[in-house]
Amino acid sequence: MKKYILGIALSLSFVGLAQNTTSKQQNAAQKLVSTSVNQKGLTLGGYAEVHYNGESGKNAKLDVHRMVLLLGYKFNDRTQFITELEFEHVKEVYVEQAFLQYSLSDNTNLRAGLMLVPMGIVNEYHEPTTFNGVERPSMDKSIVPTTWREIGLGITGRYDDASLRYQVYAFNGFTSDNDGKYLGGKNGLRNGRQKGAESTMNHLNFSGKLDYYGLPGLRVGLSGYVGRTQSDKTIEDIDGSDVGVAMIGLDARYAKKRFTARGQFIHASITDSAAYNNYYGADFGSALQGWYVEGAYNVLLQEKEQQLVGFVRYEDYNTHAATAGGLAQNLSYDRNEWTFGLTFTIAPGAAFKADYQLKNNAVLGTETVKQLNLGFGIWF
Amino acid sequence: MVLKKAFLVLGILFVSVQLSAFQLSKSIKKKVDKELVKNFDGVQLSLEPVLIDASVNAKLSKQIGKYNLFAIQKENTRIGYAYVDKAPSKTDQFDYLILLDSNLIIMKAKVLLYREDYGGEIGSKRWLKQFIGKSSQDPLKYRKDIIAISGATISASSMTRAINAFLKNLIILKQENTL
Repeated sequence: MKKYILGIALSLSFVGLAQNTTSKQQNAAQKLVSTSVNQKGLTLGGYAEVHYNGESGKNAKLDVHRMVLLLGYKFNDRTQFITELEFEHVKEVYVEQAFLQYSLSDNTNLRAGLMLVPMGIVNEYHEPTTFNGVERPSMDKSIVPTTWREIGLGITGRYDDASLRYQVYAFNGFTSDNDGKYLGGKNGLRNGRQKGAESTMNHLNFSGKLDYYGLPGLRVGLSGYVGRTQSDKTIEDIDGSDVGVAMIGLDARYAKKRFTARGQFIHASITDSAAYNNYYGADFGSALQGWYVEGAYNVLLQEKEQQLVGFVRYEDYNTHAATAGGLAQNLSYDRNEWTFGLTFTIAPGAAFKADYQLKNNAVLGTETVKQLNLGFGIWF
Repeated sequence: MVLKKAFLVLGILFVSVQLSAFQLSKSIKKKVDKELVKNFDGVQLSLEPVLIDASVNAKLSKQIGKYNLFAIQKENTRIGYAYVDKAPSKTDQFDYLILLDSNLIIMKAKVLLYREDYGGEIGSKRWLKQFIGKSSQDPLKYRKDIIAISGATISASSMTRAINAFLKNLIILKQENTL
């Protein structure tokens, strides 16, 4: 029986071969017709956000916060180059991403270049129409220093059967001394970002993220980052010239009909911060931690393209969650925030936003800072 | 066990022979074959393209070309249909497959090839399961009837719209006695 089936299979495969050769005879015009234009070539896109920030006791600030042009080129179905060119506050120009990707298979891609570090939600999904609130969550500035990107190498991919996405990278890390700007109490690691601009490297850093989206409406992410900051060759052996960074992040997003919710928790532990502070005269904490939860509800009919979403977010973050070497914890770095707002999506990819924030810190008797934010965000 | 495996191989080969006459790219064809064998006890299947008159096509919300819709035949009985098409993602297009049974009810929806990074979550087997059992009678609205995927809104709503449009077109094809 087995032999018989194999025989049929073989003979059929020969028929298949014969048919294949004839079907391959195409002239140039037929080839053009059978190749979709979109499978290959140039991609143009971008996002932008224009903001009004009115903080109590200060003049209002109006800012073209970010204006980003996305340019992509697909050399073939497996090879593509993606870059994002950013104008921040009109006058600062950055390259936000610039990487070459090669797909080895349906679930394995190799990447190299300037890439986003996957940590929490907003660093990767930072287009203004993908989150509520005029500004990004504050902990996505002070704990996760968005937009956090460095040059590196990575492997990414998805497993459809397991509803799992993975990313693993080797990146260049933060610098200990960014031309006289140091890692510090108020903004944590933010000053250390090298952004791929003539960045210096003496320690390799590693990063990874797993996203699981196999439960209805729910998506959860687990991110990790580990490494050391970079320092100049001449001082690299001196105690305190660099610190160790280990960061872990948990995030979740949920959507059910008109209701959406998201939240994230990030903890970074820093080793050798006491020696670092001693060496550079900084006030960098030995642990940074923050979390937020947000609930949102669309009040318009679901059939409509337009959405009017009301949301509430509570954030708690502390860039001095712990300190070392006798550095006193600065209570003003222990912050929390309420944000109440509206996102009015007038067309998919274009939204007006308005929110009101109440900002507090742990210093006794500090007055709550009140801030009104207005703006719009687009993504195409 | 060995016998089953042999049947599977035979099935794939047989289907691939039948399909090679049609203009599906090699990698897409391979994936379609695999799904056919998995979903319709693969042996002795043949595929015939469903050719649609220009006059009928003009009535459809999305035209069905020569290499989009296939009737699945087993020993001269029509046991279902396979529909292969592309739909837009954020900046590209993805290929998908819908398998229907003879009553035009969805047996399987699958993303065959997803090309960009954004939105690839729609390939999730678990998410695509929502389309199984749906027919032209079912309204399919993203978020309302089909559960959303955070971080893949554009592609997930695109897939939902594409399947919805296809199911609605089936009503017209039936009225016109094309199926």
